[in-house]
Amino acid sequence: MGLLPFRGEESRTQRARDKKGNTTHMSKRLSISRKHLLLLGLTAILLLVMACAPDAKQSTFGTSGPVAEKQLLLFNVLLWVMVAVFILVEGVLLYAVIKFRRRPGQTELPPQTHGHTALEITWTIIPTILILGLGIWSTITLFELDQPPAGADTLEVTAVGHQWWWEFEYPDADGNGKRITTANELRIPVDKAIRINLRSDDIIHSFWVPKLAGKVDVVPTRENYMWFQADETGIFYGQCAEFCGTAHAQMRFLVQVLPQEDYLAWAEGFGEAPVLSAQAQAGQTVFNGTGGCVVCHTANGSDSDAVVAGRVQGFMTSDTGIAPGPNLTDLATRVRFGAGIVDLNRQNLRQWLRDPETVKPGNYMSERAAIYQTADGRASLSESDISSLLEYLLSLK
Amino acid sequence: MATLTDVIDRPTSQSGLWSWITTVDHKRIGVLYGVTAFIFLLLGGVEAGVIRLQLAVPDNTLVDPDTFNQMFTMHGTTMIFLVIMPLSASFFNFVIPLAIGARDVAFPRLNAFSYWVFLFGGLLLNASFLTNQAPDAGWFSYANLTEKPFSANQGLDYWALGLQVLGVSSLAAAFNFVVTIVNLRAPGMSLMRMPLFVWMTLVTSILLVLAFPVITVGLIELTFDRNFGTNFFVPEGGGDPILWQHLFWVFGHPEVYILILPAMGIVSEVLPTFSRKPLFGYPVVVFSGVVIGIMGWAVWSHHMFTVGLGPVAVSVFMITTMLIAVPTGVKIFNWIGTLWGGQIDLKTAMLFALGFVALFIVGGLSGVSHAVAPSDNQQQDTYYIVAHIHYVLFGGALFGIFAGVYYWFPKVTGKLLHEGLGKLHFWLYFIGMNVTFFPMHYLGLNGMPRRIYTYASEFGWDGLNLLASLGYLVLFVGTLLFIVNLMISLRKEPDAGHDPWDAPGLEWKIASPPPVYNFAKIPQVEGLDQYWIEKRRAEAEGHPITEPEALVDPSTIHMPSPSYWPLVTAIGVLILAAGMLVDTGWDYIRFPIPFIGGLISFIGIVAWANEPPAKEHAGGDHHPEAAHGGGHLAVAAVAEHPGGGATHSVRLLCSNCNNQLSSNFRFCPYCGGAVEDPAEPHHQEG
Amino acid sequence: MAHQTEVSHHAPEEEHPTSTGINNRKLLMWVFLSSDCLFFGSLIATYMVYRGQSLVGPYPVDIIDVPITTISTFVLLCSSFAMVRALAATNENRQGAILFWLLMTAFLGAIFIGFQVYEFNLFRSEGLRIDTNLFGSTFFTLTGFHGAHVTLGIVWLLGLAWVAKKGRLGPKTALDVELAGLYWHFVDIVWIVIFTLLYLIGGFDTGPAGDPSLVPHSITGFLGLI
Ligand code: HEA
Ligand code: HEA
Ligand code: HEC
Ligand code: CUA
Ligand SMILES: [Cu+2]
Repeated sequence: MGLLPFRGEESRTQRARDKKGNTTHMSKRLSISRKHLLLLGLTAILLLVMACAPDAKQSTFGTSGPVAEKQLLLFNVLLWVMVAVFILVEGVLLYAVIKFRRRPGQTELPPQTHGHTALEITWTIIPTILILGLGIWSTITLFELDQPPAGADTLEVTAVGHQWWWEFEYPDADGNGKRITTANELRIPVDKAIRINLRSDDIIHSFWVPKLAGKVDVVPTRENYMWFQADETGIFYGQCAEFCGTAHAQMRFLVQVLPQEDYLAWAEGFGEAPVLSAQAQAGQTVFNGTGGCVVCHTANGSDSDAVVAGRVQGFMTSDTGIAPGPNLTDLATRVRFGAGIVDLNRQNLRQWLRDPETVKPGNYMSERAAIYQTADGRASLSESDISSLLEYLLSLK
Repeated sequence: MATLTDVIDRPTSQSGLWSWITTVDHKRIGVLYGVTAFIFLLLGGVEAGVIRLQLAVPDNTLVDPDTFNQMFTMHGTTMIFLVIMPLSASFFNFVIPLAIGARDVAFPRLNAFSYWVFLFGGLLLNASFLTNQAPDAGWFSYANLTEKPFSANQGLDYWALGLQVLGVSSLAAAFNFVVTIVNLRAPGMSLMRMPLFVWMTLVTSILLVLAFPVITVGLIELTFDRNFGTNFFVPEGGGDPILWQHLFWVFGHPEVYILILPAMGIVSEVLPTFSRKPLFGYPVVVFSGVVIGIMGWAVWSHHMFTVGLGPVAVSVFMITTMLIAVPTGVKIFNWIGTLWGGQIDLKTAMLFALGFVALFIVGGLSGVSHAVAPSDNQQQDTYYIVAHIHYVLFGGALFGIFAGVYYWFPKVTGKLLHEGLGKLHFWLYFIGMNVTFFPMHYLGLNGMPRRIYTYASEFGWDGLNLLASLGYLVLFVGTLLFIVNLMISLRKEPDAGHDPWDAPGLEWKIASPPPVYNFAKIPQVEGLDQYWIEKRRAEAEGHPITEPEALVDPSTIHMPSPSYWPLVTAIGVLILAAGMLVDTGWDYIRFPIPFIGGLISFIGIVAWANEPPAKEHAGGDHHPEAAHGGGHLAVAAVAEHPGGGATHSVRLLCSNCNNQLSSNFRFCPYCGGAVEDPAEPHHQEG
Repeated sequence: MAHQTEVSHHAPEEEHPTSTGINNRKLLMWVFLSSDCLFFGSLIATYMVYRGQSLVGPYPVDIIDVPITTISTFVLLCSSFAMVRALAATNENRQGAILFWLLMTAFLGAIFIGFQVYEFNLFRSEGLRIDTNLFGSTFFTLTGFHGAHVTLGIVWLLGLAWVAKKGRLGPKTALDVELAGLYWHFVDIVWIVIFTLLYLIGGFDTGPAGDPSLVPHSITGFLGLI
């Protein structure tokens, strides 16, 4: 792996060194001509800008876990092959253009060559061999990555894509059959193979956490799945990759990779009744009553089968009726909301409750919830109701 | 209907607006295609500008999400269907009959029909902006986002019907060019003596013939789903949105070769000319083009690697896709072989051709990296793909087309484009293109999905996006510069001569611009690069060719007469399609309109089929001049006049009957210059 | 191509000696038909992919009446024979026969269309409409577009008959008849394929047994074939 330009696990200095190697490599090629000084400058700017973003959260380079790493390895090898082909072919091209320029006074025709059979055969065969080699290796990787390693102890999660947020269902979160429904934040244990079943509630989305694995589409007619395994704890960023309408750009999510014990603790504690202050209790009343939140959101545990079924049906069959909403149980323990786009804090949440449209244009909460069907789209709730609701939501933990 | 065609004379105007509207001359139609498509290029470029402005900085709110979605959808659709394809068609039209030594295409009126339908299809698609219902589901509009519940407005109806209309145009043109190339070659021009551009046009046309019906069916099914309650792509009704993807890409992948092969053909003409060497490995280049055309059918699912087709299907498509690199590579190597040992003259056309090769390699290599499915799982639907698209389509197809523009402009107009401005244009494009699109590779690998109207600063995509947007400005200036170059060059006196590049093709044998009849005498072809053969032989014999083929009296050569009916039929098609979009909710209006459109088309077709040749041929023989006594203005002349260095032999025809009359004239039909010493009109306006 | 010399001074859109010796219009027709093959191919593929995927009835077995359609298929086949006769008559310049066989072809085609209209109405009355289920959608779309092709062919034949009546068809213009014939035979062959797939093979399909989501996805099956 030492040859590879981008690596997941190495330190930043190492990475910088590699990049420098990359530069000198390129500049050797670029020193060929004046025209390519330009390219050099360009590359320099590029590397500069690249260097400004060392900590890219959604990069496919800073991989973790076997799936993304194998994919990256394949890409890196491809990259080098392509760079080699590029240098070779563009080099010859440039050389030919410079060497065989028409000089003033040349009136005689150049030798009128028409072809060369041996050459033709050579430059057909060499790429073919190269391609077949790469192809075979790729095929092997493809089959390897198709399933989690046999006998591995896997955690199963169903990810459901909705316009424009993600729902996560754990049929058996803690190994004892505990069922959890949550949204927009996937929690998984480190060093364990995770199998994600991909389902769609409406149209095609695509589930993608670049650092953990390449994407797989979420198709309404298909029972797709993917698997990955995180080798380190921390937050990983994901995003819907298939264009899915207005708020496609805002259909993000987080993956929290926890140490095994922390994960278990979370799974076991999920949905325990929150402690509610007086104001929070007032908020709960609004939630279940005038706010109408409960029509779409559950806040006290996993959704029942009936609710899930009703929602899926409801969304498809009516234009303005129920939209399934993210399960808000233990909302306050999350880092972000709004499908991973804003930090979960009092101020942002207040803005969301007042007028979700300003936080995430096009979302189906402001589009469909009764309280937002006002002239200016702002909630038809009093400020004190909103404060109570806030209090309630922030107590959900 | 015979009564109709009996009453309405066949049009005969040779100049003025009518002559363009009723023209069936492949050269004029080529120009119409080119100008129209160029305007669409500006439109698509402006749409790209909106995209780049919006993405220049994170969290930008310049446009709202829905507008942004309309922008990239219309940008992609416009660039592919209204820019690259018709620009290619423009070259097919102008060049192919000349390059094979024919008088026109096989079906001149069908050709005019193709153009009008293309124009109307483009207008129909863009009319969606007027009702603020531009399509917004991307250029491949994946179902089931395109179904009514998710796309309630009429945007996708515009899209589906617009593409359907454009499909009619493309198919008609493709039929025409297959027949033209197969059947109208000059004597001696065997298949393996056809210029490469002709070959690539043939392959492209065959691909069109076979690919378009597939998308037609997809679009029909989509339209039925949206308007007649069928469930072809609706999961709730048992339909499968993946079927749409198969139908689209079975068309869509051959389509990308439809976009690139003409450019490859152009480049294969330009490189030899400016290297003063024949194309290296001609038969191999031809063969690889054909192989690309065939293999293009076996790879469509590489756009669907993340759909979940299963590893078996994926690996098959992966290998077939990667193998396309081989014939493409062979082409590239042969182009380099052409340069090798030549005398390379870096004229603007050559620069664009070299730019094509250089940039297409980059796009091709990134293509191969998408072909490897496990690595594509990370790249699919990211800016890495956007980078690929633009290296092959902008760096590839469009650069190839600009090479063609600089190469054939003097043939079309008799005037050279300004070289200095041209070179500046090239460098702005070359640099601007790399500044705009190269960073996108890295953006994509860094996790930036495509088709997002905004992004957060936290991902570290800011810098490169800004850089890409700055690159757009360079392209913008480059485009303006090209327009300036056009303006300047069109105004000057003809200076090109008939063969400014010492080129090998038959089209350079004749005057620039070519006379209506193309070749006074249909050339006899002895080998590949026929005009080189002739010129070299003449040189060896000591009397080098410096003049184009002498002009002759056009009335001795019977050319197809202009016609109204292609336009009428096309208008019918437009009304038919547009009528389906009328949304009054009042069926008495809604249903009759398409019906009326259909009727107009039908009348057009019948009249077309029964149309007699222009009057004077009706009796078989030329009618005597006296037949003109009845009062229409007719002018004709044969005269020599000096213009732009070359002496044109000028003659005008009776503006009504296309026949040669007495010696009277107004201007030179070839260069527009006034002709001295006019005689009396042979008869007066009555 | 005996008549070529007479018209060869005309524009390219009229008969010209061609590089291959194949007449331009004939080649055009062949190219068009190859395109149309892909058109019907895609429609048929859609039908095949969705075979047995309908979620609700009526299913083919409830609807399809093979005997009746066998009759209409036979009629269409006969029309192809009539077409052959029409072309032969044209080549032999038997004016009366030209008109008769052209009209006969059109008439038989019209009977076929009559059967189709009857069939469509029957199916409608039995509860199968284009928006009922996938079977309805694929069936009506495919056979509907075929019917449209036949109808167009009838209009074309009638146009020719009209020309024939004026005595303008004969050996010199046999190509006009031949082109219509090519088209007609093509549409006929397509029907044979449709009849085989939709009636003889698919006509007895029943609905999905049990849970529709358990039916293996036929697209996967379709791809497996490749
Ligand atoms: C002009 C148009 C054009 C052309 C010519 C190509 C050419 C190729 N394309 Fe591209 N492609 C597009 C237009 C085009 N493409 C578009 C528009 C899309 C996106 C659609 C969308 O999603 O919107 C797309 C998307 C696309 C994808 C889907 C990516 C995804 O969505 O995940 C893939 C995957 O395999 C792919 C592959 C290829 C390959 C292998 C080639 C090959 O033909 C390239 C072959 C060329 C070379 C390889 C370079 C020269 C060769 C050599 C110098 C020889 C030596 C080389 C080797 C040994 C490797 N393309
Ligand atoms: C041939 C095809 C082609 C061409 C030439 C271009 C040209 C350009 N494209 Fe395009 N692009 C596509 C085909 C093409 N594109 C396709 C198929 C897609 C996918 C769409 C989809 O996802 O559905 C795409 C998508 C696409 C995206 C991704 C959008 C997204 O995913 O969100 C972006 C983003 O930067 C982009 C940018 C550009 C730019 C900056 C140019 C520039 O090169 C444009 C240069 C042109 C100009 C600079 C013209 C300037 C105009 C003037 C000078 C006019 C002056 C005005 C008057 C005289 C009135 N394109
Ligand atoms: C019509 C259904 C509907 C109603 C009623 C509704 N919501 Fe929502 N809510 C949604 C949807 C849909 C989303 C997801 C929006 C998105 O991210 O695109 C959402 C998202 C949220 C989120 C962010 C959750 C996350 O994980 O990102 C919060 C918090 C929330 N709603 C609170 C409320 C409250 C409080 C109320 C009542 C005042 C309410 N909702 C009423 C549908 C609804
Ligand atoms: Cu969901 Cu994009
Ligand atoms: Cu492709």
